[in-house]
Amino acid sequence: MSDAAENRPGWGLTATAFTVVAFLQLPVIVVVLAAFSTTSYLTIPPQGLTLAWFGKVLSDPTYLSAIRMSLILACGSTLISLVLGVAAAYALFRKVLPGSEAVTSFLMAPLVMPAVVVGVALLQFYSMTGLRGSLVGLLLAHVVITVPYVVRSALASLSGLDLAVEEAARVLGASGFEAFRLVTLPLIAPGLVAGALFSFITSLDNVPVTIFLISASQTTLPVLIFSSVEMGIDPSVAAVSTLLILATGIVLLLAERRFGFHRFV
Amino acid sequence: MGSLTFEGLGKSYGEVEVVRDISLTIAEGEFVSLLGPSGCGKTTILRMVAGLVEPSRGRILIGRDDVTNLPPNKRGLGLVFQSYALFPHMTVFENVAFGLRRRKVAGTELDKRVREALGMVRLAAFGERYPRQLSGGQQQRVAIARALAPHPRVLLFDEPLSNLDAQLRDEMQIELKRLQRNLGITTLFVTHDQGEALSLSDRVGVMAKGVMQQFAAPEEIYHRPATGFVASFIGKPNRLAGSVAMREGSGGRLAVGGVAIPAARIEQPAGAQVDVVIRQEAVAIRSGAAQSDEIAGEIVLRSFSGARVQYVVRLAEGVEIVAETASHGPEASLTAGAPVALAIDPASVFAMPPEGATA
Repeated sequence: MSDAAENRPGWGLTATAFTVVAFLQLPVIVVVLAAFSTTSYLTIPPQGLTLAWFGKVLSDPTYLSAIRMSLILACGSTLISLVLGVAAAYALFRKVLPGSEAVTSFLMAPLVMPAVVVGVALLQFYSMTGLRGSLVGLLLAHVVITVPYVVRSALASLSGLDLAVEEAARVLGASGFEAFRLVTLPLIAPGLVAGALFSFITSLDNVPVTIFLISASQTTLPVLIFSSVEMGIDPSVAAVSTLLILATGIVLLLAERRFGFHRFV
Repeated sequence: MGSLTFEGLGKSYGEVEVVRDISLTIAEGEFVSLLGPSGCGKTTILRMVAGLVEPSRGRILIGRDDVTNLPPNKRGLGLVFQSYALFPHMTVFENVAFGLRRRKVAGTELDKRVREALGMVRLAAFGERYPRQLSGGQQQRVAIARALAPHPRVLLFDEPLSNLDAQLRDEMQIELKRLQRNLGITTLFVTHDQGEALSLSDRVGVMAKGVMQQFAAPEEIYHRPATGFVASFIGKPNRLAGSVAMREGSGGRLAVGGVAIPAARIEQPAGAQVDVVIRQEAVAIRSGAAQSDEIAGEIVLRSFSGARVQYVVRLAEGVEIVAETASHGPEASLTAGAPVALAIDPASVFAMPPEGATA
């Protein structure tokens, strides 16, 4: 008990922390409030109270196709990242190849590289290879951005594993793949769920890479929000942003409840 | 079931030879231990048998089948790990069923054989528990049941008792031995604990630096060590710096700081510097003055350890050796300073190449 008391931060630190969090979260609150305004322009505090902007967004084919596009990209890139990322992490963990450290750094590079740089580089590359404007190209770009999250969470989970467990399965008659599927995979699953969620969310709200690669006909939700804001703001942008915040928040909350996944971040 | 044979088995990592040219046969139903300090290659041998490490040279046969190049899942073995390596996300029942399911055993037959295996380790009522809900000893028994359930041809143990506390370890030793005898299953047991190896095994292989020093029955290993290493590794040896004073037949007399000690077997020539290895339990101690053939000394320290009493005895010229006797015997309560006479069995005295520091 005395330990806990000694480790508790002082009121000064607590107050500072609260101020910082409030400052960071204030814009989010502003956007959410603005979505309920009856005016045709963004204003704070909101005038009146209406759900009309949500209705407008959910019946607007431009928004709907953008939402559909974003979900396809997020789901697709997360699935591909899971397969590739888990395979890569397993090989790195088992040190199948020499130079595992170098490969790890390479896989993690998109995480530390400025996203704009990745976007420009891919644009150049896609122009040369003819992938520009294609869904496949966009999907691959999102895989590049999301795969580090899966690799990192998979590596973290694997490092906590007793290697003998998989060997035990092998000696008991399981093939290499069976041992992985029946023993290793279930044991690292909570970590993979965390990685997949991060991957999903990262893909869902990516602008800086996506904006270089989309065609005029197919846009994603965050890029659409970005361009809508440029053309003049009405509360429908706030409404769709609120939906995005809500969806992300619910997913994170469920994951935390189910897996306590803060351990894997 | 089957015998287990090594033919010129060896393993190198780059330049380092960790297992050197091992050839031996473990008979069907035999219990063999590999005993040695850590890094002697015993675990590498076990892992090669299991198929988890690829041999650099030689062959491994189970019965008449060459399994050297088979993957672990095709060898039909049971392996009990030091860490138990139970599957934490499965119940005890599912852990034990794992090997059976891989062999397509299902339904009532699966049920019957899992129960049979759990019954053998007296855990019949624990099927629905998860490994984390069991004590260390219970987890160990689940690991044994899991290895036994598929009726393996050979059972392998990798230091299985070293994570248990002393009393539980003794219990498990007896339980293991009984189980192995009842099932008559060929067993290879790897350990660094000589007590375990000697009491459990039909034969013991003592290893050092990748080389098999001696492969023989426990009594033979204990009473007739083949090499200096075995002599100094088995039992509780005194190790004293000395030299060969005189050769006579196969034996002669060794000198340790002016004290002459007869030895039945000496390989070095007269005058050679040697380490003299004398088992504590081979030194008979008697209070009173020394007669001929006995060595005079004086008690320095007495140490009581339950069934046995150890004495540190100072001989002439400051040489000290440790002698052991039964704690209920007539010589169990000698006090410091008491004059004693020591008789040392020449067959239990070994001369080996000096290893620098003496202990």
